[in-house]
Amino acid sequence: MSLAHPPKAPSRISRRGLLAGAGALLAAPAVMAQTSGLRFVHAYGETVLERPARRVVSLGYNTHDTVLAFGVAPVGTRYWYGDYAYGVWPWAQPYLGEAKPVMMTGEVSIETVASLAPDLILGTGSGISQAEYAMLSQIAPVLMQPEEFSTYGTPWQSETRTVGRALGMEDKAEALISGVETTFAAARDRHPDWAGRTAVAAWHDGGQTGAFMAEDTRARFLKELGFRAPDALAETAVIDGFYTTLSPEDLSPLDADLLVWISSAERAADLVALAMRRTLGAYAEGREVFADELIAGAMSFGSVLSLPYALERLEEPFALALDGDPATVVPSAAKVGLAP
Amino acid sequence: MRMLWVAVVLMLCALGSLTIGVRALAPSVYLDALLTFDPSDPAHVTLVAVRLPRLLAGLIAGAALGVAGTVMQALTRNPLADPGILGVNAGAAFALLLGTSLIGRSDEAMVAVLSFPGAALASLAVFALGGGLRGDVGPVRLTLAGAALNALLLSLVSAVALVRQETLDVFRFWVAGSLTQATTRPLGAMAAVAALGGIIALVIAPRIEALSLGGALSRGLGTHPRRVQAGALLVVTLTTGAAVAVAGPIAFLGLMVPPLARLVSGHNLRAEMVVSAMAGAALLTFADTLGRLLMAPSEIRAGIMTALIGGPVFLWIARRIRPGSTT
Repeated sequence: MSLAHPPKAPSRISRRGLLAGAGALLAAPAVMAQTSGLRFVHAYGETVLERPARRVVSLGYNTHDTVLAFGVAPVGTRYWYGDYAYGVWPWAQPYLGEAKPVMMTGEVSIETVASLAPDLILGTGSGISQAEYAMLSQIAPVLMQPEEFSTYGTPWQSETRTVGRALGMEDKAEALISGVETTFAAARDRHPDWAGRTAVAAWHDGGQTGAFMAEDTRARFLKELGFRAPDALAETAVIDGFYTTLSPEDLSPLDADLLVWISSAERAADLVALAMRRTLGAYAEGREVFADELIAGAMSFGSVLSLPYALERLEEPFALALDGDPATVVPSAAKVGLAP
Repeated sequence: MRMLWVAVVLMLCALGSLTIGVRALAPSVYLDALLTFDPSDPAHVTLVAVRLPRLLAGLIAGAALGVAGTVMQALTRNPLADPGILGVNAGAAFALLLGTSLIGRSDEAMVAVLSFPGAALASLAVFALGGGLRGDVGPVRLTLAGAALNALLLSLVSAVALVRQETLDVFRFWVAGSLTQATTRPLGAMAAVAALGGIIALVIAPRIEALSLGGALSRGLGTHPRRVQAGALLVVTLTTGAAVAVAGPIAFLGLMVPPLARLVSGHNLRAEMVVSAMAGAALLTFADTLGRLLMAPSEIRAGIMTALIGGPVFLWIARRIRPGSTT
């Protein structure tokens, strides 16, 4: 034993030393590239792009919207939900043109990504692990969400700026952002009474009721219109940075001035059958808005393309719900049978 | 009379299910809610539209699974037989999920109809695979066949559920059942179906016992093994199908209830069935109440609670099995 050990030990050390040396060699070009290329710091480290990307694989469930907004069609998209070709919803379809991206469903297939020969992999809001990030990084540079945001919590402004930089279109990014911000500011100006009132984006699914909050796209949408969360909801614990679940015996945290149901036609029946909903003031006074699959989808994607689309379709129902007259009917809610 | 004690425990569990929860209910609410129900009063709604349907669902599914487990264990002379372990739950769940996905409807009628073919096919398949058709149902063979079938069906459930829009919620329900969707489930119809299954079970109980003496001896006593087996599989299909339609797949309940019931009933199959039904209802109701308290206001699904309780019981039973023994 004592003879067997010594010859091995030094070789192990030298191998480790060799690896460290190799690491330093590998790191060297990256350090140099920092001055010439585009450098991104994110939750999984640092990524450097030598030149603006053109073949983008978008792994985030909603990030293909942002890429398309720049007039660039991604070569790969990720399926979230909905029956739309390539996972591209109506608000983004005009930007797709003749492109036919490969849509990936479920887990990310490293092989599929590699076969698309991307020069950028967009991992923001994709939920990929650090290990997957490391593997994908061998195919092409991978961008993740900035460290300060949770996996699915990157605000659309930040996402638009990141993608704009990666595509070498920073000016266009600022133009897109200010365009959407102007649209929201105009809506706030038209409805000064919305400022400071409470609003909730809620869901009911499989017997479980909950609300979107904090960093969630739907909660941010309401916030950008001047609304705030009711105190009772703000006090409940946030799960994964974007939602909370409520006991079926107590839905009172949802009782806001404006209650938006993030739903779909096929789930409306469960919502109508939810007896506890009828104990809420929002129900009794007709302050509920039903967001069907398309509008709920636009709120959920929460992208630079989908947000104006959602706003255009929700401004009128919101105004009707909040007009102070319990007798006014919100057509979307009445249509599925939610109205009192 | 020890059976009376089981009934008392069942009543206590039912009472707990109605009185314990996130929202504290004043004693006056119980009468008011029944006499002058006010749909805008959260306390009334909690009792009538949340706790009562859950209790009913728990009683129906729990009793049905208790009977299903008892019949399966008696028929196969295998103490590890259970609709969850042998894939009958998963069969019903898969058929239900596939049917509602393809047809695009998941209302009460659809759920009621689709649950049974899956349960029937799965129970027939596992019985045939386990050697039941040749009258050779060894515990190991049957358990292996059931475990394999269960794994196959569960992966099919995942495959269907994971391409659906509401992915996780749908998936959770069809992997581990819960009583939270009781209001949208066909409680009345399934109670009737489960009761029918229970009655058939009581009627054929002596013949199942005769069958357990062995094929030749039971034929000598005038029993037709095939007919009894078919009747028993019908009972398993009706009770498991009803339970899955009401609560989704609830694991381990049908496994752990019969041996506990035998402690009370002794080796009398009819008595064992009655006690199993009561104990199953009590256990599922208890699991649901506990699940809504442990992490309030979030809830732990009843199907997960029964698995948590049932896992250790499974090990206890497995340890007691000796070669050649039937209990």
